[in-house]
Amino acid sequence: MHSFDSNFKEIFSSQIVSVIGGLIAGTLLAVYTNKILLIPGMLILLPGFLEMRGNISGTLASRLSSGLFLGVIKTNSMKTKIIRSNLLASFLLAIVVSLSLGIIAFLFNYFILKQFTLEIIIIPLIAGIISNAIEVPLTLFATFYLFKKGHDPNNIMGPFVTSTGDVISIISLLIALVII
Amino acid sequence: MKVIQHLEKLRKIEKKKMHPIIHKIHKKHKISKKTLFYVKEYGPHSNIIKVIFKESVKILLFASIISSIGGLALEYIKDVFILIMPLIIMAPVLNDMIGDYGTIVSSRFSTMLHEGKLKGKWKNEELRKLFRQIFVISVLTTIMSLAISFIISMSSGYQLSAETAFKIFLINIIDVLILVGLVLFIAVVAGLYFYRKKEDPNNFLIPITTSIADFGNMIILSILVILFF
Repeated sequence: MHSFDSNFKEIFSSQIVSVIGGLIAGTLLAVYTNKILLIPGMLILLPGFLEMRGNISGTLASRLSSGLFLGVIKTNSMKTKIIRSNLLASFLLAIVVSLSLGIIAFLFNYFILKQFTLEIIIIPLIAGIISNAIEVPLTLFATFYLFKKGHDPNNIMGPFVTSTGDVISIISLLIALVII
Repeated sequence: MKVIQHLEKLRKIEKKKMHPIIHKIHKKHKISKKTLFYVKEYGPHSNIIKVIFKESVKILLFASIISSIGGLALEYIKDVFILIMPLIIMAPVLNDMIGDYGTIVSSRFSTMLHEGKLKGKWKNEELRKLFRQIFVISVLTTIMSLAISFIISMSSGYQLSAETAFKIFLINIIDVLILVGLVLFIAVVAGLYFYRKKEDPNNFLIPITTSIADFGNMIILSILVILFF
């Protein structure tokens, strides 16, 4: 089997999108280092917070893709129980995970780094709500769009979700910091 | 028994007894096994939110703890880390990249398992080809993104010497190669484990591979930064 086939091209081009997203997020991080990274515990929180988007929206995209390929989910209607439930479950998971990330960061901060920063619990919760309100619907529409266009969303949605998620997450964190 | 009655029976049966009846309905009514799996897991009478939440929440919380431990490693080298601008720029890129490979391999591997292409085993040419592709793409994208991170850093006034650039290059390449190998291995082992437990690997593999990728990335990155700087 030839390795440089259409799958290679799909994965590679989606990785280019992912790299661009990551570079934008990284540049934002570098520019706002003083605001984001200097808060005690933010580096504990950050990897999990960036990863959450991939875990929740990536899994959502994967489930939707399986449903679309199996014909259980139809491209002509988004107002079905299976889609609504998938969206609600993703939001619910995002809130629970954001709060947990904050609590874990707070505990690590308090017990290991001996720093008391209560706002580290609130910041990811607010940022998680903002970023998922954007990312979850975006995942749904992008998966449907790619499937309708004849692509395999499995190859593209992972990188798409993580790269857009990173940028949205960093901006959401900045908004949450401003709110706090 | 009619097809509707069979499907109703399928929905009521516990997960662990799912595969035998799927096989029976598949043989009798010629409905594909993957469709029957989906009917059982996310059928109209099942509580989809509960199924997704219940299957995902534990693994997501596990992923959060693992990532936070990885983040703790970064917090320890924060003083050095925040002074090396290309590394800050590359941190989300590396996280994305390795996590992406975890997601791609996990979802493709899950689909292969559901479609019966692997028959519960990993020795398959399609899977091997996927692994080759992932390795080649990971090296190419790392080199490209490093070049861009150097350009961004230098254009914003960061003084980048040839020695520092070489060290950053080595750190990133070593990190990516170790982690891509690890992610592929874990996706296969965990995928086969959850498939044999009659669970949907889609709900488990992505959080597992991405969290291990993130955790490993933070730990290996921290170790390499300490070693090189």
